[in-house]
Amino acid sequence: MKLFSVGRKYIAISTSIVLASSGVLLVGASTSNAAADCGPNRELNFVSVGDPFEYALKEVLPQFTAETGIKVKLTGLDNQTLQTRLAAAFVTGKSDLDVVTVDNIWIGQYYDNKWILSLNDMIKKDPTVNIKDFIPQVLYSISEWRGQLVGLPIAPYAQGVMYRDDIYKKFNLKPAKTWNQYLKNAKAVNGKTFKGKKIYGNVIVGKQPVPIVHMYTGLQAGQGSRWFKSFPEAPWDFTPNMASKENIRAAKIYKALYDVSPKESITYDWFGAGMRFADGDIAQMYWWTPYFYLVNAKGYMSGKPSPVVGKFKITPMPQEPGKGVHVSTGGWQVSIPSTADCPELSWKLVNWIASAKTQKAMGLVSKYGAQFSDFGRTSLYSDPELLKLYPYLPAQLKMMKSGDGKVSRPGMPLYPALEGIYGLQLNKILTGAPIKSTLQDTNALFTNILNGNLYLPYKGVSYDDTFANTQKLIDSLD
Amino acid sequence: MKKNVSQRGPYILLIAPSFLFLFALTFYPLYFAVKNSFYYWNLATSPKPVSFIGLDNYINVFKFTPFLASLRNTLILAFVGVAIELFFGFLIAMALASQLKYLTYVRALLIMPVTIAPIVVGFMFRYLYWDKVGFIPWLADVFNIPEPDEGFLGSKITALGAVLLPDIWQWTPFFAIVLYASIIAVSRDLIDAAKVDGAGQIRLIWSVILPTIRPILFVIVLLQFMRLFNSFDIVYILTDGGPGDSTRTLSYGLFREGLRNFNIGVASAYTVVMVIIISLLVFIYFKLFNKRAAL
Repeated sequence: MKLFSVGRKYIAISTSIVLASSGVLLVGASTSNAAADCGPNRELNFVSVGDPFEYALKEVLPQFTAETGIKVKLTGLDNQTLQTRLAAAFVTGKSDLDVVTVDNIWIGQYYDNKWILSLNDMIKKDPTVNIKDFIPQVLYSISEWRGQLVGLPIAPYAQGVMYRDDIYKKFNLKPAKTWNQYLKNAKAVNGKTFKGKKIYGNVIVGKQPVPIVHMYTGLQAGQGSRWFKSFPEAPWDFTPNMASKENIRAAKIYKALYDVSPKESITYDWFGAGMRFADGDIAQMYWWTPYFYLVNAKGYMSGKPSPVVGKFKITPMPQEPGKGVHVSTGGWQVSIPSTADCPELSWKLVNWIASAKTQKAMGLVSKYGAQFSDFGRTSLYSDPELLKLYPYLPAQLKMMKSGDGKVSRPGMPLYPALEGIYGLQLNKILTGAPIKSTLQDTNALFTNILNGNLYLPYKGVSYDDTFANTQKLIDSLD
Repeated sequence: MKKNVSQRGPYILLIAPSFLFLFALTFYPLYFAVKNSFYYWNLATSPKPVSFIGLDNYINVFKFTPFLASLRNTLILAFVGVAIELFFGFLIAMALASQLKYLTYVRALLIMPVTIAPIVVGFMFRYLYWDKVGFIPWLADVFNIPEPDEGFLGSKITALGAVLLPDIWQWTPFFAIVLYASIIAVSRDLIDAAKVDGAGQIRLIWSVILPTIRPILFVIVLLQFMRLFNSFDIVYILTDGGPGDSTRTLSYGLFREGLRNFNIGVASAYTVVMVIIISLLVFIYFKLFNKRAAL
């Protein structure tokens, strides 16, 4: 008995359904070949990291539309998601992004892969940029790569120390100028009671893999330790230098700082450590400069004052005598993807965001209290209105001018991979792994990664990426 | 009667789209991974594969990453997790099958954890573990269980167990529901006959119920083992593989290589190694248990 009677009609219908579905899939997957509209109706697609500056930026962005008529669609993503999104978009070449924020540690990867444009020509042609107003160390640390400015700073970060002035006075302590002194201060108050509360000497960021590297490398740079044998000076030699005596000393100090921090700080990320300081039981911490204003609030963008408002002061990072001054500097810039359909319009937005007027407007936003002081322009550091809200600006300017982001976290193309391993190894040290052998293992792991990715020996073109050369670049663009 | 082509034709046409779709989703990614595992390809430095490098990526899987620690953690999570979920799931299923009063309401609630996305479960437990103020530290205090100074998620001694707990909370009910359904399907005659022969509760479970539901057990244990073997979401949300590498799993390591380090060559090799390991384990499982679990 036939279970299924096959007719030609049935075969025809079935085949049509299969072909039709394939056709729909193909049409859906095809890309539009229509020419991009770079006219006044264009909406710019801007993807940014969701750092504190994004909140201030959201408030001022409508002014750009009011002034230019160009609409902007702003999307905020966390750091790691942004990196994955941008890489995926750029690798496939199907990016629909017009402006993006780029972390300074990504610029090597992004520019060498031609994912973002050099802005040198645009800066030179546009008289409104005022490139000399930017702090040169900031441009060097976060925006310059191989003699090209690949973005303009939207929120540079340096590092500095926040200490509880009331606790210091009670225990007769002075702000530390060296790391030994910093550690000594922490030990002097750790476990003591202050106004009925048990005090910890310090708080660290311990979470692996990325957050711990951000905090640790501030200390590492201050000890005069370098990641590689020769970088950023030419010729580049990426032989890892992780087991140097400077780095071993840095790791010992960091472990000792963890010993006088809350034990749970091994799980703290950027914000976790900052908010612990804001809770009021921490005597001191060193961290990125945005925390100078973030710790004034209880919780992220809550607008509610924390217990430490008016009780802490700011001082520069300690340094190791005889090792020079190297302050970790990082942060964010606005860049133009090489796939942007309308680079001229993108440049309008980039230049507007990085302008002194817009940066000041961001600094004056008060939706959650004063919430943005990450200025890359020198002129803003002496603005009376901003000084009223952020009286620590002169100290922060000194920190920015001591910035050396290329030493603390070198933005070469393999940095993300190395950082992932480095953070894991540093976290192991906090859990009790022996310092010297763990750093030697780090060296070995770095060597494997660099070898496997054809960076040892380095056969590419080196660039003498010094601050002096960046100053020459800035002069040439003025 | 053997079907001829014209009779088989409609069946083939009907399943063809699904088959092609499955083929595209399953075999092509595997082919992509195997092929690229022999090439140097890092998106950080090149948009396309650069050169054939033989087995170097496979060597780098062990040299670049803490692979063995990840394998150890993954196997602990998978074996211990399945054992605990199976044990408690079976107990709950037996309790439900006993038809005690009010337990029918529990049955309806049991499905709820399974419907929550693992990433949401991860966030929920992150707050439950919150140091000193979370529910779990409070509960530990009530039962005099000492909480490590670093917190349950921050101590390398407790972190792996702390990562397993949300999975046990979420998936034990799944075992319970499936096992309950198979237990109540056991023939009443068999149970009555065993009781008449003097079988106690333990003997009943061991000699009648378990052998009868063995085929279901076989499948559900296999599925849950494979799911736990691929644990990623909970690890990513709760600990990011830390402290140190104490909660790092194979899937987390793969995520880091592919989506953070952009090393497609090494990530492809990592994938192939994982496929080999899980295939080996499944093969051993089938060899040991399959013939005795046949329907």
